[in-house]
Amino acid sequence: MEKKPTPYERVVCKNTSLYHYMKINLVFDSRNKSLSAEQFKQLIITGLKDLYGEVGAAFPFDVLTFNQTELSAILRVYHSSLVKLWSAITLIGSYESVSCAFRVTQVSPFLLALSGNSREMEVF
Amino acid sequence: MSPELEQCPRSLLVCEKGNFKNEKSRHESQALKHSFNCRISLLIPECGRLPVMLEKVLSNFSSYFHVQDFPVSTFLEEKWLDAVKKGGFYALSSKTRIDEDNVVAVLPSGQLILSLDKDTYEQLGLEGRPSQYSHRKTVRHIVTVDLKSLVLGTKKYQRVLLCLKERVPLKTDFLFTAAGGAVSLLDLLSKQLYEECRPALHCRTLQDLLCPSLIPSDLKGESGSVTPTQFLEWLGAVSLSISCDNQATSFLSTYACPEPQSSVSQALLCTVTGLISPQDVCKLLTEIRRYLDEPKLTSWVSLTVHGCADSPVSWGSAEHGFHKGGENFYNFVCFQNQDYWLHMATGAKDACPP
Amino acid sequence: MVRLKARYLLCEVCMSERSMLRLLEEKDIFQAVKTAVTTAHGQYGLALFNIGSAVRYVNAYTGVVMLRFRKAHYQLLWSALPFITSIWKQGQRVPCFFNCIHVGGTIRTCQKFLIRYSRQQLFRMLPHCKTEAEKQQVRKAVLSCSLNQLRQDDDDDDNDDYDDDNDDDDGK
Repeated sequence: MEKKPTPYERVVCKNTSLYHYMKINLVFDSRNKSLSAEQFKQLIITGLKDLYGEVGAAFPFDVLTFNQTELSAILRVYHSSLVKLWSAITLIGSYESVSCAFRVTQVSPFLLALSGNSREMEVF
Repeated sequence: MSPELEQCPRSLLVCEKGNFKNEKSRHESQALKHSFNCRISLLIPECGRLPVMLEKVLSNFSSYFHVQDFPVSTFLEEKWLDAVKKGGFYALSSKTRIDEDNVVAVLPSGQLILSLDKDTYEQLGLEGRPSQYSHRKTVRHIVTVDLKSLVLGTKKYQRVLLCLKERVPLKTDFLFTAAGGAVSLLDLLSKQLYEECRPALHCRTLQDLLCPSLIPSDLKGESGSVTPTQFLEWLGAVSLSISCDNQATSFLSTYACPEPQSSVSQALLCTVTGLISPQDVCKLLTEIRRYLDEPKLTSWVSLTVHGCADSPVSWGSAEHGFHKGGENFYNFVCFQNQDYWLHMATGAKDACPP
Repeated sequence: MVRLKARYLLCEVCMSERSMLRLLEEKDIFQAVKTAVTTAHGQYGLALFNIGSAVRYVNAYTGVVMLRFRKAHYQLLWSALPFITSIWKQGQRVPCFFNCIHVGGTIRTCQKFLIRYSRQQLFRMLPHCKTEAEKQQVRKAVLSCSLNQLRQDDDDDDNDDYDDDNDDDDGK
């Protein structure tokens, strides 16, 4: 049986991604503190609770990866909660009374884009 | 909650389905239009080590050159103009950020594109157009100079030369690459202090991987298979080594491999980093098709090509901006029956891919 | 001139002991709402609450209070009201809850609603009356509010009322 070639098809999707992905980094003022992934997520939830209260702390987000040595993580969050999460992270200023800050490296609606960030690459 | 807290910048995802054997298939032209690629990654399920043929193509990728403090006016020298006219020549300023610095690029079509901030643009005095993605006030202008139509000694040439050499002597680090062998970069760069770089190849074997099952005819995932978004998310999870274990009790993450899924005993993930010319990507694509011609355990192979976030163009000469991520990438999924899927994704400050 | 639109929320404060209602004061209610907004919506909610929110009216006999919020974000602040479980009064915790009975665009519509609402309450009191004297008293009260004031008010502000209803609709 001779099969017909697959017909060409094109679909354009706008804002198709349900999630947004954030690559973030936690930096401490002086000495490095070590914290586990659970503590890391708890710190973010506390920040959310401070800024947006119990209602704000209730929306789900995922810590997809966490690197304990660099304190960097990739978060997944619903696109409707991105602004809230980002603003809460920005306003987190201390962890266990050591001042700290979050640096947002990259934000994208595609997880795949986070694996090829040309700004982080050493191409030469 | 306030609606303004729930808004997000728009993103575009174009999904295409077709057959490589179709004469009208545009897969090659689409790949060629994406000029500046900084990383490609190849995922081959059911494969332990890189096949010899593919390795040959990957290691034959053309070199690229890094030059520090390269004056932009050099492009107007006679031998450079000749080289640009031959085609297959790519140049992109490196370590410059599209949302804060001046970015310069030369496309294989012979266009010199300068994406300039307000001050530089006003000093330079070359006519340009305001950036398409300005917010209220225009702070960025795009100047396009067609190097192919520039003839030595004409009035226009003198003017461009004056602007780039005397008014604003722009100097940045550059990355060069050439494809097709028409242009010899070594000759061109003989006067400069350059560094030759080879695209870096990394291979990783993944064991016991959960893979979503793909049906070539079902692009949109309407008949219960994975949707393009789910598939791209899964590909990202694989390349970032995110675990797909779905533990209901997990406090950290609820990510799981999309259904329907199957287990693959091993898979090979190859990444090549560097400035990769579109011609090399096309060569690789042809080789992948040849690889799939022979009977294999796997039914598909995926090839992802990431574009530079800071390049002033994405596809063709369409303007590209950074906004939040500057993402512009495309992904081919090649099937055994020579069908293919092509996903092209861009962020907020990008035109729709071709 | 741009008019800053507000929303007025008529709420009934329900306490287990009605005698405690007498102690209701504006600042205690304000504080209770503020605390509830802060727990439910955090610093962000508190910031929204601090712009143009006030307690405009307190009736210590019936327990009706009127809260004023900015129209732009009254829904967010409103959502915090059910979380009020107590009011602090002179260092003493008085358990109570808020029952929102009306949302209006102006004080006047709220007033009209309140009169109508109170009249209904009077009707409900009628079957519970024990002596004839009490019944007479309630009947008199019903008549006094329905004939003299309300009818007159309605005639005067018929157009006004319509305008305000429109106001209610342009909230998103």
